[in-house]
Amino acid sequence: MADTPAVPPAPVAPPAPAAPPAAVAPPAPINQVPFEPVVSAHFNKPNSHTLAYYQGHGGYDVARKFVGTPQAEIIQTVKDSGLRGRGGAGFPTGLKWSFLAKGTGKPTYLAVNGDESEPGTFKDRYILEFDPHQLIEGVIVSSYAIDCHHAFIYLRGEFILGYERLLGALNEAKANGFVGKDIFGKGYDLNITIVRGAGAYICGEETGMLSSIEGGRGYPKVKPPFPAVSGVFGCPTIVNNVETICSVVHILKNGIAWFRQWGTEKSPGFKLFCLSGDVNKPGLMEVPMATPLSKVINHYGGGVKGQRIKAVIPGGSSAPLIKGDKVDEVTMDYECLAANKTMLGSGAITVLNETRDMVSAIYNLMKFYHHESCGQCTPCREGTGWLEKLMHRFHHGHGHKSDIALIGEITRNMQGKTICVLADAAAMPMNSYLGMFPEEFEAKCQD
Amino acid sequence: MAEQKLFNVKIDGRDLQVPAGTSVIKACHDNGIDVPHYCYHENLSVAANCRICLVAIKGQPKLAVACGTPVTEAMEVTTSNKEVDEARKGVMEFLLINHPLDCPECDQAGECRLQNYSYTYGRDAGRFEEEKVIKSKATLGPHIKYWGSRCIVCTRCVRFTEEISGTQELGVIYRGDRSEIAVFPGKQLDNPLSMNTADICPVGALVSADFLYKSRVWNLQPKESVCPDCSIGCNTRADVDKKNVIQRIVPRKNDEVNKTWMCDEGRLSYPYVSKDRLAKPLVKGHGSTWSQAQAAAVELLRKGGRLAIGVSAWATTEAMEEAARLAKATGARVFGYAAAGRQDQVFPGFTISGDRNPNRSGLKSILGIEDADASLAIMAAEASQLDCVILLNNIPGSPVSDQLQKLVDSAKAIVLLDFAESALSKNSKVAVVLASLTHFESSGTYINGKGISQSFTPVLDPSTSGRMAQEVLRDLTQALAPVQAKPADKSLRA
Repeated sequence: MADTPAVPPAPVAPPAPAAPPAAVAPPAPINQVPFEPVVSAHFNKPNSHTLAYYQGHGGYDVARKFVGTPQAEIIQTVKDSGLRGRGGAGFPTGLKWSFLAKGTGKPTYLAVNGDESEPGTFKDRYILEFDPHQLIEGVIVSSYAIDCHHAFIYLRGEFILGYERLLGALNEAKANGFVGKDIFGKGYDLNITIVRGAGAYICGEETGMLSSIEGGRGYPKVKPPFPAVSGVFGCPTIVNNVETICSVVHILKNGIAWFRQWGTEKSPGFKLFCLSGDVNKPGLMEVPMATPLSKVINHYGGGVKGQRIKAVIPGGSSAPLIKGDKVDEVTMDYECLAANKTMLGSGAITVLNETRDMVSAIYNLMKFYHHESCGQCTPCREGTGWLEKLMHRFHHGHGHKSDIALIGEITRNMQGKTICVLADAAAMPMNSYLGMFPEEFEAKCQD
Repeated sequence: MAEQKLFNVKIDGRDLQVPAGTSVIKACHDNGIDVPHYCYHENLSVAANCRICLVAIKGQPKLAVACGTPVTEAMEVTTSNKEVDEARKGVMEFLLINHPLDCPECDQAGECRLQNYSYTYGRDAGRFEEEKVIKSKATLGPHIKYWGSRCIVCTRCVRFTEEISGTQELGVIYRGDRSEIAVFPGKQLDNPLSMNTADICPVGALVSADFLYKSRVWNLQPKESVCPDCSIGCNTRADVDKKNVIQRIVPRKNDEVNKTWMCDEGRLSYPYVSKDRLAKPLVKGHGSTWSQAQAAAVELLRKGGRLAIGVSAWATTEAMEEAARLAKATGARVFGYAAAGRQDQVFPGFTISGDRNPNRSGLKSILGIEDADASLAIMAAEASQLDCVILLNNIPGSPVSDQLQKLVDSAKAIVLLDFAESALSKNSKVAVVLASLTHFESSGTYINGKGISQSFTPVLDPSTSGRMAQEVLRDLTQALAPVQAKPADKSLRA
């Protein structure tokens, strides 16, 4: 995040009244059914991470019910629910499961992505620390559905408490026969291995994660072939985010109609959002998809800290900005954000107020991508470094006017030219900040 | 063999038929279409990390890497258009922003893909004003040095040690634009194939310690040859300077023999060309002229009695044919012998033969000697009855095995063909030394261990007044059994 401003923020004004109708009307949610937290329902309860608590609240009933039922039906349910990946890409989960290569003679794997490293994102961490059994139950039903007998849960190395809690939960599950041989007496064997990372954002890229699970450097793999055809150890692999797997449990438990009560046709259900930055109540929230962004910031987030919203990062640091005066036009669903030339991403929402220096902000981000680039492919390896060095100069007021066009060319030569999308993830915000606030960059030029 | 499925593919407007499974880049290269590449190598796995081989494929919104894309039916590829050319310029610019301006002192200059592609595909001026990343310099092994700042992290060298040598000494350390190649702790890059990594390094990051700073490549004349050091017969190229000295030897591509590889030992053996050379023929240990030496040899052979010709497995097939003729003309018995063998060194992608002779197969095909060692042993046992033995040696170092020593001790007189002074040439039984030439100064043919016949021509001008073995033997035959001049019976290859 950008540096703390030297000037203390002005007193907070009460939440602003609803803005006049915007020129672009966001799609109306299907209905306005009241929503209570689902995935995060138990986060603030004592001992919520224990088996005793989990079972006391219906834990493992879904797994017990669904293991042994036709796998194709489970996959169809997930497909029909419209659940989309909660890690950032938003790919339809059931559709991904149906891409799994069959008849290869090789084992199928599930690899759960708990590498959570997109700046601004802190939702999976809470699942691991406060409700790890939910994840394990999700892994059981998902693995069963795709005929996987060995699942990996990959955690970023920096998660210490999350790892300890998940490991504790896994051991409890094993001791009670929920993981291991002949689960629930249904003749289904499942092994779960927790794999820890060692501090690399690129290990959150799905094939970078697979390389790391294999014991190698976290280098993303050339696609095609896609993991569903050839993933970890060259075997068909499904990669899903922690939150996605947890959502599967609730969809199976309560049904498709229940899930589709919230959100839109294309973005059904609910999501964990991580609110940070210049707001009065930063933190985690779980709200229906298509919740207006203004409601997220003002109702749940206590409103902007400062005079006004300058810009919002809606979906993790890779997402292009939404300008402050456009916040009221945006609802938090995949289609609306895509129409506004940005993305829902991981659900990390960061608010920047009027005091924020956009050049410093993007310099901070470019430092991150430069540091995290794996270094495999030329445009990303060299481009992220070049962008950081350029922004360093701008940050210190030594930019050149000619650099502005140069930045556009550098990002153009990075996007769509690499093995994975880290290069695009760096290029998109660079273009967004520069395009949305050109006067701030010009002000940092010395000629 | 099953018919291989062919796809109809269009590349730059040309209709081509390409076997299924072929990558776009190989399809282009096989049809004479140049697609620039750094990390791609036909004998290594695909890494697809340099991104300079990006091409346009009809129907695909993004450019695709030619190395990682297999051809499909009705695929249409464009290897040059505005988008492709801009992408290549972009990659070239990225590669050069942190690259040191080392050309004036870098061995790779003149055969550097950064230089070449920059000229063809790159920008004409640099736009990078910032500080460049600086990386380590290291000695990775006895034969290889590493300049980290020049490295483009294409990982060809890493893949080589994983897939070809299987020794896995090399890996990438650090991350991003700090990435460097390094040896794993406790290891050195010292496998017998290590110097191939310097060949395949597209820039001056990995450099042969043997060749370091010796010469600019444009001052060298490349000459094709084969390596004589073992029965593989790797195809080679010797780079020779203006003073008729070999500055380095590198492998030449031959898919049937050595692919694109050769071993370090074969690369580094050439210094023997100038060691202890016999400047002229010797008679009774004293320097002589060719006419005198030949006359002395002929006299020994004419005296009659029991003669034998021993042909080493380092002789060319041409020399072996001449030895056969000489034997016929003199009634001499022919036997073979060879430099001592050792175990084959088998690597996942290459084998170094334990047969340290280039033409043991020639002894078999030309002279009918199935087992050279047995042949020598038999002759050694009867050597006391031999009046004169001609030894066609030409083995570098002139090693003398126990059996050969026994034969030399037992025989009455020896006429030796060899190119260097040695214990053998100084042996008291050696009456005449007909100074010959090394492999590099000769032309001829070897038949390798798989029966493949490979001919070669001189890489060096003779540095002594030695003569090729086949010519010397032919002259002896001519002197002993003159034949009316016939049109070219000679097996001289141009």
